[in-house]
Amino acid sequence: MSAPTTANTLPFDPLDAPLVHGNPTFHTITQDISGISEVEVRKTPLPWWILLMFFGSLMLMFFASIGYLFYEGLGIWGLQIPVAWAWDITNFVFWVGIGHAGTLISAILFLFRQRWRTAINRFAEAMTIFAVICALVFPTIHVGRVWLLYWCFPIPNQMSMWPNFRSPLLWDVFAVGTYFTVSLLFWYVGLIPDLATLRDRAKNRARKIIYGFLAMGWHGGNKQWKHYELAYLILAGISTPLVLSVHSVVSFDFAVSILPGWHTTIFPPYFVAGAIFSGFAMVMTLAILARKAYKLEHIITVDHLDVMNKIMLATGMMVGYAYGCEFFVAWYSGNSYEQYTFINRATGEYGWAYWIMVSCNVLVPQIFWSQKMRRCIPVMFVASILINVGMWFERFVIIMTLAHGFLPSTWRYFRPTIYDVSLLVGSFGLFMTLFLLFLRFLPMVAMSEVKGVLPQANPHGHGDGHGVGHSGSHNGGH
Amino acid sequence: MSSMKNSPVLNEQISVNGSIEPVVSETTDASVAKDPTYWRSLAELADSPEYRNWRDREFAPDLTDRESGVSRREFMTLMGAAMALAGLASCRRPVEKIIPYVIKPEEITPGISQHYATTMPLGLSACGLMVESHEGRPTKIEGNPAHSASRGAVSAQVMASILGLYDPDRSQSFLKSDASVPGGAADFVAAWQSIHAAHVADKGAGLAVVCESFNSPTLSRLHKQFMSAFPQARWVAYEPISDESVYAGIKIASGQDVIPVCHFERAKIIVSLDSDFLLHETDSVRNAQDFATGRRVENVDDDMSRLYVVESGFTITGGMADHRLVMKSSDIAAFAVALAVELGKEGIVVAGAAGVSTPGNFDTKWLGAVAKDLAANRGQSLVVAGARQGAAVHALVASINQSLGNSGATVTYHALPDATLPSIAGLRDVVVSLQSGAISTLVILGGNPVYNSPADIDFASAMAKAKNTVHLGLHVDETSAKCQWHIPSAHYLEAWGDARSLDGSVGVIQPLIAPLYGGWSMVEVVGLLASGKQTPGYELVRESWRGTLGGDFEKSWRKVVHDGVAITAAPVSQSLTLNDGAIASAIGEAVKGAGSNDLEICFAPSMVFDGRYSNNAWLQETPDPVTKVTWDNAALIGTGLAKELGVATNDLVTVTSGGASIELPILVQPGQGDRSVLVALGYGRQAAGAIGNGVGHDSYRLRTVAGWGFVGGVTLAKTNRTYQLSITQDHGSMVGRPIIREGRLDEYRKNPKFAQEMAETPNLQSLWTEHTYDSGNQWGMTIDLNSCTGCNACVVACQSENNIPVVGKEQVGRGRIMHWLRLDRYYKGDSSDPSTLEMVHQPMACQHCEMAPCEQVCPVAATVHDSEGLNVMVYNRCIGTKYCSNNCPYKVRKFNYFNYTKDTPEVVKMAMNPDVTVRFRGVMEKCTYCVQRIGKARTTAKLAEKDMQDGDVVTACQQACPSKAISFGNIRDKNSAVAKAKKQDRNYDVLADINTRPRTSYLAKLRNPNPSLVITAGA
Repeated sequence: MSAPTTANTLPFDPLDAPLVHGNPTFHTITQDISGISEVEVRKTPLPWWILLMFFGSLMLMFFASIGYLFYEGLGIWGLQIPVAWAWDITNFVFWVGIGHAGTLISAILFLFRQRWRTAINRFAEAMTIFAVICALVFPTIHVGRVWLLYWCFPIPNQMSMWPNFRSPLLWDVFAVGTYFTVSLLFWYVGLIPDLATLRDRAKNRARKIIYGFLAMGWHGGNKQWKHYELAYLILAGISTPLVLSVHSVVSFDFAVSILPGWHTTIFPPYFVAGAIFSGFAMVMTLAILARKAYKLEHIITVDHLDVMNKIMLATGMMVGYAYGCEFFVAWYSGNSYEQYTFINRATGEYGWAYWIMVSCNVLVPQIFWSQKMRRCIPVMFVASILINVGMWFERFVIIMTLAHGFLPSTWRYFRPTIYDVSLLVGSFGLFMTLFLLFLRFLPMVAMSEVKGVLPQANPHGHGDGHGVGHSGSHNGGH
Repeated sequence: MSSMKNSPVLNEQISVNGSIEPVVSETTDASVAKDPTYWRSLAELADSPEYRNWRDREFAPDLTDRESGVSRREFMTLMGAAMALAGLASCRRPVEKIIPYVIKPEEITPGISQHYATTMPLGLSACGLMVESHEGRPTKIEGNPAHSASRGAVSAQVMASILGLYDPDRSQSFLKSDASVPGGAADFVAAWQSIHAAHVADKGAGLAVVCESFNSPTLSRLHKQFMSAFPQARWVAYEPISDESVYAGIKIASGQDVIPVCHFERAKIIVSLDSDFLLHETDSVRNAQDFATGRRVENVDDDMSRLYVVESGFTITGGMADHRLVMKSSDIAAFAVALAVELGKEGIVVAGAAGVSTPGNFDTKWLGAVAKDLAANRGQSLVVAGARQGAAVHALVASINQSLGNSGATVTYHALPDATLPSIAGLRDVVVSLQSGAISTLVILGGNPVYNSPADIDFASAMAKAKNTVHLGLHVDETSAKCQWHIPSAHYLEAWGDARSLDGSVGVIQPLIAPLYGGWSMVEVVGLLASGKQTPGYELVRESWRGTLGGDFEKSWRKVVHDGVAITAAPVSQSLTLNDGAIASAIGEAVKGAGSNDLEICFAPSMVFDGRYSNNAWLQETPDPVTKVTWDNAALIGTGLAKELGVATNDLVTVTSGGASIELPILVQPGQGDRSVLVALGYGRQAAGAIGNGVGHDSYRLRTVAGWGFVGGVTLAKTNRTYQLSITQDHGSMVGRPIIREGRLDEYRKNPKFAQEMAETPNLQSLWTEHTYDSGNQWGMTIDLNSCTGCNACVVACQSENNIPVVGKEQVGRGRIMHWLRLDRYYKGDSSDPSTLEMVHQPMACQHCEMAPCEQVCPVAATVHDSEGLNVMVYNRCIGTKYCSNNCPYKVRKFNYFNYTKDTPEVVKMAMNPDVTVRFRGVMEKCTYCVQRIGKARTTAKLAEKDMQDGDVVTACQQACPSKAISFGNIRDKNSAVAKAKKQDRNYDVLADINTRPRTSYLAKLRNPNPSLVITAGA
């Protein structure tokens, strides 16, 4: 694994290059990160307030739209027959997909000992939680009688009725529910040492009480660290299969049906690759903004962004492969319904959406073959946004397969209403509001973990495999 | 009809009381004066004017009726309904107190429906009905199997008339335009009595009556009575859509006032000239049945008739055609002549056709083939022409039929002893007299001439010149608004009457309910007009029948009322004696306009007929069978004309004809002739009611006396604006999928299993343990696509039976129409050549798949299979994920996107079927195979300790279908009709290749083209 460090040919090796720039000390790390949430240290920047106002308003619009939806019924959306799912499920799959990067970064990269992840894992995980919250809203509100949604849970009841275990929607309930629970736990466990840091630095009573409560009596003792790391490892182990399972199960909503264009076996891997793709793009967008706003360029370095761009390039190729494969299978199957669906997908009424999807998801990431582009902030910022647009359209294109089913008499073009739009836009409001609150009140970078990857944390030098991961974290409690 | 009950006693009570209710004071008056045996006070005995005055103020029936809104009887009816519905209300509805019957009416058991026979008059014809009634509340209309014009089936319009009964916008009281004069029923009677007296004096010279045409012994008797009281009065019938040109044509040809009745089942070759005899012509229900009979194929030895259709725009009749030729409606007269000439070459001399020159260049090969076919089937062929065509065409058609020996065989001619024939000329004469001031009193009985009279007859301003104007109508419509008096009309389900169908069978109109809004029937009004005295309708009708029913009158009367129909006299078929010269001169005149290349506009009836059903939401929402447009009319143009004008569907254009112009949205209709614009009548009402106001565009403004059916010289001008039509089906091509399978008769004979071979059905396995379906009744359905015409009767029957909500134009446009049963319409052929285009229809409802994709994906198991093979939808369990609909390959599931029944007026709720749940917002719904009827039949069989028999369960769609295309029953019973149908060679399942195993199967459509023309088409 350990390649020779020659800065000219290989500017960034995750194992060998310094992961944090500017030669910080443990204290400056604490100061830089904790300070963001402490008014005494660093005044809350005006842009934060402006953004909070803006996204908070969008969030209110989101909740108002939901209120009206509950009052009037699903008819306020553009749904119809045959397109009985549209933006609601598009948004659901989109947000669940966004979440995947967080889990991937925190769990899988952790297990693979990718130390560079420490710079971004905290807010990637936060992003996961918030994205899954946004995602969960949509299947909840998309049912006709939301007050009976609990029938989806296997709760013993006087009707002796179980849910239908053959239904992929029920699998969704379990898969996404599990995913959310585990992600939340994982994130929270990771936060505990940093919460303790905030508690210890707290200058007023409220912060002391709240952070004290949340830190659960953490004092950085050796035994605590031992238990903590074991728990973290176990949760990472549990989370890892979830990265693959959640989006696979979400894809079953489509793959298990009999609709041409939905009923395909490629969906699970294709959905997982797409999810990671979109998740990384979202992490990228947020990371670029956050590191700039909070001057964390030395912690979230261009090297980190470079690695993420490579992952996006790889996953973008995977979804591109899946797009091509679908066409091949449609042709190869000899099934005329399938063939019609795919030809229509590219050339029919929704062709425009299809080509937005292909351009954004397959063509745009190709620029990352160039190292220069991979390290150019404006380029990657624009690319990450385009990729997320493309990934939203990917789900839209898949769901609009509904518009052209088996019987041409039923074909009908879907048109969204203002409430479809308000809920999509509003979900960004919810997501960003939660994210802004997170930036302001919680340590956005995992201080304890970053300290663990500082050269000081590993007095034996790096590259010998000794101080990898968290082994050095004992030193870095405070 | 097993639960049909003879309960004339009950009905008499209801009806007698009901119909005389508005005139209670009058009868009490009379009885007090004549027979003061019982009296309540000295004042009453003395019957002084002061007492009368006091009594009228105190107990004025109209006033109290109007103020309270419901009478005691209505209250009881409503409470009965509420009681029946209360048990079915879902648990989240508020609990309502119910009032039980204190004394249970005889023969009424709450929850058990009853059927009563009655008749719906339809212009000069009538449809015999069997109406289902729940606790005194009619809920569902079905055909009376004993009636010759319905034979158990009904049309969509007849079916929907139940909703018309409960229309909250119906007029609910007598109205007087001059507010200073009291406007109650009694005031009207008093006012009429003075008018009556005045006109008795002038022998009716200043009196005119404009009525809707009728064919009724009682009305005819009263009409005669009226004419004898006012010998100089004018009495004309006006109908905006009628067979006037048919009678006129036959009158030209033979000098007789007779009407043709076609017998399609006897004809092997049928030629239709612009006639939509399967939908919009008179007696379409009977026509469709006969036509289907003549084309029913059960095995390769069966023969079927051949239909040639010549028309300007697509009709469902054209869709059934084996050969269809598109031409301008104005060329059809010339075509008829050309056909007669061609027949001459076959040795058949058509009277009146000789010497008429025929402009126009017709497909001689086509003409020759038709003529040969007709000539080879003398006495077994039939030529029909549409009511849109002028009298001359009908004269010539009568002559062609006569020369082919069809008169008396495939077409019979019947006299109309009790009819008043519609007459546009008569209306014009009345208008002229009105304008000259010769008429002081104008009575309009039904109809709406202010809205629908010809554009060149200014009826509205003419009637303003009359001193007294009276209008009887179901609604306060455009005409009522301009009259001095408005009389609320009783619905035919509320009043006594009688009606004769074209072929002569007479039915009694028996009321099913007391008048909801105190309306008067036409019988009662004509009775008052003639005599100046009020007589209950019941008495007037019985009076007419006293003479006709022999023997014990009461006994015979009860039987007639029970049966609903009495064949008082065998239909008299009159033979025609043709007047060659008259035919020749008429047709010579008619062909003059032929061959021109200008644009013509053709008028057609619509789902709302002539506009009289505008306020009927079911009919507004029923898609037009061809265009699939709801809640609207449009200018239908062909693809060639659309290209020429550069317009597309939903573009708004200005249509100008004869100086008048209206704006209409364009609908590009495949199969429409490129020089013809087809526009439906009956839209653009201003005073129809909350449902019908402002729906569509008023095309009557373009319709003149001369251009009654069609008129040339039309221009279309773009407005560069658009107008959104709500169309339920966007795609008309099957894109090569074997959905509707169709073959030629000769192909079928060579390869009977052709339909099954059109798609490969692999031997697929299920992931799950499959149901065995090997015990009890296993329900299944088969639809014969060779019989289905696409007439929409099943769609409305399903809506009526299953309480399917109406969602409105905007929601239909959004793709949320709720119909459980829809008619898919596809085209086949080259859309640029309208004559080669074929149209097919397929009724599509839940297929009750044995391996239902919907069941597997519902997370809460709200849709499951029952032991009898039904795919059942548990509304109470449904949470509305809509996944089932997404996974349904047939897309037959409908979702309640809103609470569509939230605003249903109380009175409309009375039209609901208490046996079927009204669905709430957020749940999915779909065809249940009329599970409530299955349940009812099961209970009946169980009580009788018998097994269920084939035919015990008749679904609503099956019952309504005029062409008997639907069979339903137990597929395990080898002798059941449905099992036999499924055994037929043509039987196939739609989308069998995805292993859904539908319980509904289809019998492939057959066409029987002329071999000599098929070769041409192939070349």
